Amino acid sequence: MSNKRINALMIESSRCMGCQSCEVACKLEHELPAGPRPVKVIQIGPLQTDNGLAMRYETVTCYHCDRAACVAACPTGAMQKRPDGIVFSDPELCIGCQTCAVACPFGVPELNPATGKIAKCDGCRDRVDQGLWPSCALKCPSGCLSFGTPMRVVNDLRTREALTIVRTLAVR
Amino acid sequence: MVQYEPFKRVSGTRQDFDRQVATVCQECTVGCGLTAYVKDEGIVDLQGREDHPISKGRLCPKGSAFVQGLAHSQRITIPAYRNTLTRGFESATSWEQALDQLAERLRRLKDKHGAESLIIGCDPEAGLDFYLGARRFARLWGTPHVYHPWEETEQATRLAQELPVSPSSEWIESRCLLLVDADLAVTHPVAFGRVLKAQGNGAKLIVADSRYTASMSKADLAVPIRPGSGNLLGLYLLKQLLDEGLEHKDAIEAGFEQADNWQASFDRMVWDGVENHTHVTREDVLNISRFISSKHPVTVITGKRLAHSPDFGIWRTLAAAMGWIGHPGGGWYPMDAGLPRVHPDTDIEEPPPENFSPRLAPFPYQNRSGSNEELLFQGLIGSGNCLDDFFLPVRRQSPKMELIVHFGAFPNETCQQAHMVFSAAAWAERDGLCWSIDRALQWAPRILPPADASHSGLGFWAGLAQRLGWDEFFPWIRKDGRADRFEFYRWLLKRDPQTASCDLSQLRDNQDLFFWTDKTEFPEAGETPQFYTQNGRIKPVDAPELPTAEDSDIDDGEYPLYFQSTRIVTRGGDAGNWWPWTAELEDVDAIQIHPDTAGVLGIENGDAVVVNSPKGCLEGRAWISRMVDRRMVWSPRRLEGDHVLLLKKGQSADEALNLLKENTP
Ligand code: SF4
Ligand code: SF4
Ligand code: SF4
Repeated sequence: MSNKRINALMIESSRCMGCQSCEVACKLEHELPAGPRPVKVIQIGPLQTDNGLAMRYETVTCYHCDRAACVAACPTGAMQKRPDGIVFSDPELCIGCQTCAVACPFGVPELNPATGKIAKCDGCRDRVDQGLWPSCALKCPSGCLSFGTPMRVVNDLRTREALTIVRTLAVR
Repeated sequence: MVQYEPFKRVSGTRQDFDRQVATVCQECTVGCGLTAYVKDEGIVDLQGREDHPISKGRLCPKGSAFVQGLAHSQRITIPAYRNTLTRGFESATSWEQALDQLAERLRRLKDKHGAESLIIGCDPEAGLDFYLGARRFARLWGTPHVYHPWEETEQATRLAQELPVSPSSEWIESRCLLLVDADLAVTHPVAFGRVLKAQGNGAKLIVADSRYTASMSKADLAVPIRPGSGNLLGLYLLKQLLDEGLEHKDAIEAGFEQADNWQASFDRMVWDGVENHTHVTREDVLNISRFISSKHPVTVITGKRLAHSPDFGIWRTLAAAMGWIGHPGGGWYPMDAGLPRVHPDTDIEEPPPENFSPRLAPFPYQNRSGSNEELLFQGLIGSGNCLDDFFLPVRRQSPKMELIVHFGAFPNETCQQAHMVFSAAAWAERDGLCWSIDRALQWAPRILPPADASHSGLGFWAGLAQRLGWDEFFPWIRKDGRADRFEFYRWLLKRDPQTASCDLSQLRDNQDLFFWTDKTEFPEAGETPQFYTQNGRIKPVDAPELPTAEDSDIDDGEYPLYFQSTRIVTRGGDAGNWWPWTAELEDVDAIQIHPDTAGVLGIENGDAVVVNSPKGCLEGRAWISRMVDRRMVWSPRRLEGDHVLLLKKGQSADEALNLLKENTP
């Protein structure tokens, strides 16, 4: 099952409008109670700049690191990396010790108070295995989140940027 | 040109389900399409409908979070009553029995205090049918006091319905979008996605607002304005455009009534005080006008708040005078103006009760300064959490009222004060017709049957009318005692020439996805009239001789700050306050304060603070942010009055006032 092609979740934070639809979609998908927010949108600003105020939103979630500190630290082997790159915690094995949370340089893993186990972005692995997009990316209304092979998402970004420039210059 | 292939999005669910329902989200008026997956009569997943032209698979947080309200442990699903407020509620044996009791109590109320002692408040969550049913009921009963927040946008609806609208799907064609007091990123996120898409297509985005909003953070040109001065900005902009001769002369000649007088009024308008009135400099007005006149077409999107201020029609005048109307991606798009023109009671020929006063408009009890003197009420029927929301001024009277009836789904503050409670069906539990801001009608089938003894608003009023002998005016009851919502909406559509040709069965049976209320009223009037009025012309808004700033002179007095309350993105109506797992995403008790103001008062992030207005007070936690100006305080919670004093908890009013006065430049 996990020999499927590798996909990436592209986060283009400059497009994010801070609506938190991704957060809600994730919680619904994973039946999470109040507390853990595997994908989280952080508002930065408004900050005073030379050109007036500036504000943006950063959408942060697990990076599914290549050499994942959380996986190395997990004492039970619950935290694992699949061949397609997804890093997830198997609730059957997780004992809720939160060693992964301490090990992760980005503070990603959080405890699910309802189950006593780790809640962390699992790349919507059950959906992805069925060929579906992750929930957060589907619902995002701004186009900040998209999903596909690394090549595809990067190319898409480039093409869109190029088109924006062209269309802005185009006199109509 | 580069060929751009959008991603192939793969939607669906991984859950097992028995059936799926394609319907329409009713948390706001965008009208996004959603698919609910249902197993054992519970919703197991929700996804956007990829094939839906308005939302193309996207949903905002409310569009997925509403599921938390349906099977909520505290939800009210059977009617209940009590004789005094000090007692707990007793469950009624049935919905029918509760209605019998209510009819009896209402009769006593009328005998004792007269018909006009009853006031009815309708919140949007209860559905359009609750409001329309209430209007009908009130006409028969004899009280003019029916209120719905939608009435605040009635003016916008009326003005907008005389023009063709370019739906949000066409914004992509726009070269510039001007948002005024409209924070779409928060109020209508999926529609804002359209704005961003247009921006990605080269359109420029200008956002004018009295707060630095999420929408403003995306703007190519951000225009901070003085609270309440949005329409004035429109007047100054148009003056500038006319002064420079940048208007569309043909459009004006063809479309305006008395164009000469109109134009002359702008010649007389003076520039003095523009900065004072709007906080926008003369130079910036010039910049914006250059900007919008060099782009074509432009869509101007205005927020609801503007409808409360004078000269709201300036936006339609501006769009028409610039020739933007009638072009895809151009024109005027007032938010929440796609509502039906309702005629819910004009067919009732019964002589009105003696002394029946016509409807009171505008509604005198809402959260606006300078409201009329108070009327006294003895009975209230209200949906949602009206006493804590738009009926705040009525709340002062509520402890003395003889009968308060709560039609709702949660034991909120209004319920705490009620004598009777009627269990309301959620929108996901009732079939209905949706009016979207694009002026498209959609049929939205229910996802689940109503929980226990919950009924729709129509069911409530029809049941009550039956008991008072008015069945003939509420014929939409099926044999099983439930409201026939399809027949009701069919009847309603026939009553408005704009919708009379809509075939509701086609909408219901999915042969048509939409019925566009636009472009139907004057179809024969020659080559597409520009405006849908009898003579094809509209009346433009004249410039006032001396622009007067709104009553927001907030520099001195005991209430030196300006208060604003707007919605937050993760919650819709009252039910949103009960959603357990999204409650944490945003703090409803947040009170936003500018860092300088916080510094003056010694307030730090998270401190307990109090906002006092002449009519009430609000407690919450400080959120120090430059989203508000120094002179403004913002909260998602409502407060009566818009001039306030802010204190750190424990501080005296005098102390805070002195600090603010001493430290204001
Ligand atoms: S949890 Fe942290 S360490 Fe583990 S994969 Fe995600 S980002 Fe990397
Ligand atoms: S859904 Fe998209 S736009 Fe909304 S907060 Fe998440 S990433 Fe940002
Ligand atoms: S934008 Fe409005 S209609 Fe669309 S999902 Fe959000 S609340 Fe529902």
